[in-house]
Amino acid sequence: MRDWLKTEDWWAVWVGLIVVILSLGVLVGFDLLGWGAVTSEWLDLGKALKPSSPENYRLLSGWASLASTYLFLLILLSIGASVMGLWAGRFALGFTVVFWISYLCLLIGHNAYIAATPNRREQFGISWSVGLTGEAGFVLALLVGLVVGNLLPQLAGQLQEGARSEWFIKTAIVIYGATLGVKAADTPALTQAILFRGFAAIVEAYLIYWALVYFVARRYFGFSREWAAPLASGISICGVSAAIATGAAIRARPVVPVMVSSLVVIFAVIELLLLPFVAQLFLYLEPLVAAAWMGLAVKTDGAAFASGAITEALVLARAQQEQGIEYLTGPMALTTTTVKLFIDIFIGVWAFLLALIWVYRIDRRPGERVQAVAMWHRFPKFVLGYALTFTGLFSLALLLPSLLPALKLGREQADTFRTLFFAMTFFAIGLAANFRRLWAEGIGRLALVYVVCLFGFIIWIGLAISWLFFHGVRPPIVGG
Amino acid sequence: MRQDLGRDPTAGLSEELGRMAQEPLLPIEKQLIVGSLLLGAVLLAILLWASYTFF
Repeated sequence: MRDWLKTEDWWAVWVGLIVVILSLGVLVGFDLLGWGAVTSEWLDLGKALKPSSPENYRLLSGWASLASTYLFLLILLSIGASVMGLWAGRFALGFTVVFWISYLCLLIGHNAYIAATPNRREQFGISWSVGLTGEAGFVLALLVGLVVGNLLPQLAGQLQEGARSEWFIKTAIVIYGATLGVKAADTPALTQAILFRGFAAIVEAYLIYWALVYFVARRYFGFSREWAAPLASGISICGVSAAIATGAAIRARPVVPVMVSSLVVIFAVIELLLLPFVAQLFLYLEPLVAAAWMGLAVKTDGAAFASGAITEALVLARAQQEQGIEYLTGPMALTTTTVKLFIDIFIGVWAFLLALIWVYRIDRRPGERVQAVAMWHRFPKFVLGYALTFTGLFSLALLLPSLLPALKLGREQADTFRTLFFAMTFFAIGLAANFRRLWAEGIGRLALVYVVCLFGFIIWIGLAISWLFFHGVRPPIVGG
Repeated sequence: MRQDLGRDPTAGLSEELGRMAQEPLLPIEKQLIVGSLLLGAVLLAILLWASYTFF
């Protein structure tokens, strides 16, 4: 079967593009996606849900729009799962449970007592609220996923076929490209600055982090090259996919990247639960520093993008509360996404370079050749989807400003689906994070390297470089 | 391409890590580490200068 039909990476592109293309129907007068369910902060549950274009779908109740959204995603993703060779029935069953649990968490997270920021309490007639914004639903989904994954392993195993965190987050990112592209058109100069500063992330991850982690693992923990290289890639670059690509490049046995990946997921969850709240406490005066920090410090695509979304909500809410400044949403998300995607793009190149060094200088395998096409094989294809939706909508909004109102409506429709994919990603990440492995015999030494490197220097170098490159660069102020 | 849900990759890991041979750092590894750090520092300095100068 062709490569572009058999991997989650490519299917993230197809599903994301379908959602974005449908959302663009409003440009030519057809509202094809306005039935998607959007969740608002609520006190009265009856007002929590509505179609994203209620004026065009007046007869559709909120719950009916949610059911339609579920059915649409179920059919679309089941087709993809089936073509990829997954067990379609089991996928559909798992997806159904994942969707509804994730949505329930999202709905609870939007309760006004949990979500409403101080400036919105009066609107709800309440005297207090935790002020976590609707993104609290993501954290709740993660916690519920952790509980199910660690306390109900049999149920977690049954859901695994439908809990595809990598597929969900990559699809969300392709859709996010459209959302951020339209938002970026409001601030083209800032967008240019963010994109340029994104290059620093590549240098930091591949040249600084990797070298330091590899050295620490080899010199101080006595790891062999076979273990140290995938470990360095897992901690430094992009978690799971980098560990696997490096393992393949240096011909490590399969157990090596599998074990490193398990650790990456576990520590990504810890970072995801911790760093956004640290950023809210200490970095609310520098929102873009906080956003870049998430992209540089949090490993795995899912956790990094997810932590970026939570950090944006938390930091902007705190800035409003402490300074009375309402920053525009978008630039923070663009920063985290740019930083992480720029790092992702070079995984193939890095694996290729390591393969060259291992084949010709370390393992010296006479007659063996390293093929450049491997770089393409390892290139994360969903990045192409993101680049297409981001540049496509950014260009459209800049070149044809008369389309901007319709583009913004389409953006909101597509973003409804992005939010749902994010919620399902959080739940699926929690489900896959098996903390019992930390106590499994023998993994302590691996975990120790991870802890020393992650909390010893990766987080802090990431913070320092984010500060150097992004301090003083702030999102525009709403109405400013 | 059905997923294997049952296998635990941690099985035998302790033995595996215990068996790990001591491998001294080769000159090429030292070059890779030092070269990466130096190149990284230089590139970061250039990028920092460029970002504040042009953006």
